[in-house]
Amino acid sequence: MSTQDETLWWIAIAAGIVVILVVVALLSLLIRYVKVIDRRVAGIRDTLHGTEANTADTALVPVTATRVDAVLAEGLQHHLFLGRVLGKVKS
Amino acid sequence: MTTTLVVLTVVDIALLIAGLAVYLFWVGGLLARVATNLEDCADTVRRINTHAEAIVPGVSHINRTGGVVAGALPLLYGMAEQIVVGATYSPPTEERPPARPASGTRRSRLHDAVGFGPR
Repeated sequence: MSTQDETLWWIAIAAGIVVILVVVALLSLLIRYVKVIDRRVAGIRDTLHGTEANTADTALVPVTATRVDAVLAEGLQHHLFLGRVLGKVKS
Repeated sequence: MTTTLVVLTVVDIALLIAGLAVYLFWVGGLLARVATNLEDCADTVRRINTHAEAIVPGVSHINRTGGVVAGALPLLYGMAEQIVVGATYSPPTEERPPARPASGTRRSRLHDAVGFGPR
């Protein structure tokens, strides 16, 4: 092997080490970003669990609507009763 | 010298491959965890959406019925007040005149007994 070939080989090895270092740096950066994403996604998940706990009782809304309908029906009964009694009291 | 170069080249390539493998394994684990969390988020959002579907029609129903009740309550208490006014005793406000006998002048029978008759 000639001296020039050896020199080129050394240059190739050095370039390979530089490439390895660049790859390590870029992959470390990538891992840092992915860790940030993971942490924020975990925060979103926890917030959504809290929101789900808050909205879990919305099943009571239709029940409340039914109860309010019952109040209205009872009020109509009172209206009928008062209408009958009012006629007798006035006469 | 050539052996050294070959060994260094092999070490170089092995380091590159090992580094890539380690980092990709690490990133893969992190991304798998992120995917699991995102799947959990999607399920939770779906459940929240299901919960929220009942809010708008239920609240509209309550609002409508509550409006009817609120509009009818003044009518009800107006009728109740009229009943109270009609059923409560109110004493007469004018002064009573002196009491007079209902039978008029009292007639005595003593005069009849002695044969006296007023003209």
